Amino acid sequence: MFLAVKELLHSKTKFLLFAVIIVLISWLVFILNGLGNGLATLAAASFQNMKADYVIYERGSRASMSRSLLSEDLVSAAEQLPGVEAAAPMGSSMATALKGEGASDEDKVDIAVLGIVPGSFLEPAVIEGKGLDRNQPYEVIVNDTMKKEGFKIGDTFSLERTNLFLTIVGFVKDQTYNHVPSVFVPIDTWREMTFAAPGSDRGIAHPVNAIMLQGREIDPAQVDAEFGNTETVTRSQAIQGIPGYKEESGTIMMMLAFLMVISAMVIGVFFYVLTLQKTYQFGILKAIGARNGFLSRAIVSQVFLLSLVSIAAGVLLTYGTAAILPEGMPFHLEAQTIAVYAVILLLIAVLSSWISVRRISKIDPLIALGKVE
Amino acid sequence: MRQGLEVIGVSHFYGEGHNRTCALNGVTMSVMPGEFAAVIGPSGSGKSTFLSVAGALLTPSEGEVRIEGRDISRLSDKERSRIRLHKIGFIMQTSNLVPYLNVLDQLLVVKKMAGKVTPQDKTFALQLLEELGLKEKWRKYPDELSGGERQRTAIARAFMNDPAVILADEPTASLDSKRGHEVAALIAKEVKSRNKAAIMVTHDERMLEYCDKIYRMEDEQLTLVAGSDRRGRKGAADTWAAESPEPARI
Repeated sequence: MFLAVKELLHSKTKFLLFAVIIVLISWLVFILNGLGNGLATLAAASFQNMKADYVIYERGSRASMSRSLLSEDLVSAAEQLPGVEAAAPMGSSMATALKGEGASDEDKVDIAVLGIVPGSFLEPAVIEGKGLDRNQPYEVIVNDTMKKEGFKIGDTFSLERTNLFLTIVGFVKDQTYNHVPSVFVPIDTWREMTFAAPGSDRGIAHPVNAIMLQGREIDPAQVDAEFGNTETVTRSQAIQGIPGYKEESGTIMMMLAFLMVISAMVIGVFFYVLTLQKTYQFGILKAIGARNGFLSRAIVSQVFLLSLVSIAAGVLLTYGTAAILPEGMPFHLEAQTIAVYAVILLLIAVLSSWISVRRISKIDPLIALGKVE
Repeated sequence: MRQGLEVIGVSHFYGEGHNRTCALNGVTMSVMPGEFAAVIGPSGSGKSTFLSVAGALLTPSEGEVRIEGRDISRLSDKERSRIRLHKIGFIMQTSNLVPYLNVLDQLLVVKKMAGKVTPQDKTFALQLLEELGLKEKWRKYPDELSGGERQRTAIARAFMNDPAVILADEPTASLDSKRGHEVAALIAKEVKSRNKAAIMVTHDERMLEYCDKIYRMEDEQLTLVAGSDRRGRKGAADTWAAESPEPARI
C-alpha cells in the first residue's frame, strides 16, 4: 500500500490517463447492461412481472405462446394436480390499435393483446382507473406508455382489420410484450379477435395459448404425463422462448463478455509493461530485502485502488447518462446488476495483475549489482 | 569470532561440467565492526560475485559466509531476503533510489518492508539525514537531487535498518572526484561512528585512503595487500602508499 499510493500520487498524469480508459470501459459495460435490461423489459416485462411459476404449452411449441394452442378446459384439471395452487389461461396476439378513424400513421399504435380471465392472478394491478370486469367484455386495461400516444381513460379504439372496439378503463405499469405495450382484455374477447377466421382454432374448444400455474412444488414432468399433449416449463424458460428474446439478450451478453475480456487485457498489459519498466527498480528493492509479497501487494493494491475509483466514476457517469437519455429509449438500470458487474470488473482487474505478480517473483535481486547470470 | 563479517574458503562456479567457470576461488576475509575494508581489482576478477556472496544475494558453491557468527551461505531465498533486510546495508553504484519516493520515504520504505514504521524510526531516519547533510532535502524527490546527494541518500538508506554489515559496490563511480571523496569520507565516518563492518568494492584508488585495509581480487583470488586482519593497526592508506610507490594498475 505504501509504495502503491506514493507512486499513484507521484505519477498522477500517467495513472489518471489510464484511469480514464477504465472509466470509459466500465461506463460502456454499464450502458450496455442498461440497454440489455431495457430491451429485455420491453420484450418480456409482462412475463417477468407475472405472478406465475410454471407455464403449460402445447407439445412441440418450443415454449412459445405464438406456436401453442390448448383448450381452456385443461384449467380445471390442472388445478387438481399436486403442487398447483392456481391455474389460469392466457392468450396473446399482436395487433394494431387505431385511434379515431385511424387515417394517419400517427393514429396507429402497435400493441400486444393479452387475453386473461378477469380477476385471475394474471391480471396486473391498475395504477389508474379500474380493473377488468367479467360482464364488460370490451373494457380493457393498458400499459401506461400508451398515454404518450394520446390515449386516456374512457377512450375507445378499434383494432385494425377487425370490427372490435375496446374501451380503456385502467392503466397498468411496466407491462410490455414483444417490444410493444400490453393491452389486457378478457379472454373471450381475445378469442373473438384471434379466431375470427373459421378453422383457425383447429377445432379446439375454448382455445388459449397457454395455461399459467402458481405453485413452487409443481413437477413439470408429472403435469405433462397427466395431459399427454403438453409441455410444461418454468416462467424463465417461457421468457427465453419469446421469439427474438434469446437472440437479443445473447447479442448484448456477447458484447459484455468481450468488454470484460478487453478490460482484463488492457489493465493486465498496462501494469505488466509498467512492471517490466521497473524491473531494475524492483531488483534493487529485492536486494535491500523486499520480499516478493511486499512488491506484489504494491502492484495489486495499485490495480485495486485505480479500478475501484474508475469503476465508481463509471457508475456515476452511467446514472448521469440515464438521466439525460430520451424517454422512449429502452434503457433500464438495476442497482443490483450494476453492483454485480462492478464487482466482476473489479475482480477481473485484480486478477489481471497476476501476470505482473508472476513477473516480479522472477526478478533476480542480483541485477542490483549490475550482474545477471 | 562472533562479530562482523567472515568469509571462509568461499568458491563459486558458474555453469556445469565442461562449461564450468570459476568466479571465486577459495576466498577468505574477515571484517570486524568498525572496520572499513576495500576490495580492488580488474574487471571480471570476481569482485561482483564476491559482493553478491557476502551480501546474501548468491549462494556460494563452496565455503561459508558468517554474519555475527551465523552462517548465511546455505539459507533459502526467503531467509536470505530476511538477512538482507535486517543485517546488510547495500550502497550501489548509481543512484538506485525509488523515483517516486522523497528522501525521507527512501529510508522509511526499508522499515516498511520489515513491518510498520514507528515514530522512533522516523526520528532515526531524520538523524541519519542530518549526519549526511541532507536535513534540508528530506522532502525532495531523486530527480531534484544532485548525484552526490542521491548517493548520500543511498548511504543513509543502507544504515537505516541498523545492519551488521555495510556493502558498497563502486559507490563513487558515477561521481566527480570532489563528490567521490565526500561520499567515501561519509561512508567511513558512519562506519566508524556506528561501528559497522564495511566492505567497499572500488576501481578508484583515491578512495582507499578512507579504508582500514585493502584486498586485491585477481584471478578469482583475494589477497590482503595493505592493512591488517587485526584491528588497531595503523591506517591502510599509509601502508598502501609505502608498499606501492607507483599507482596500482587497475
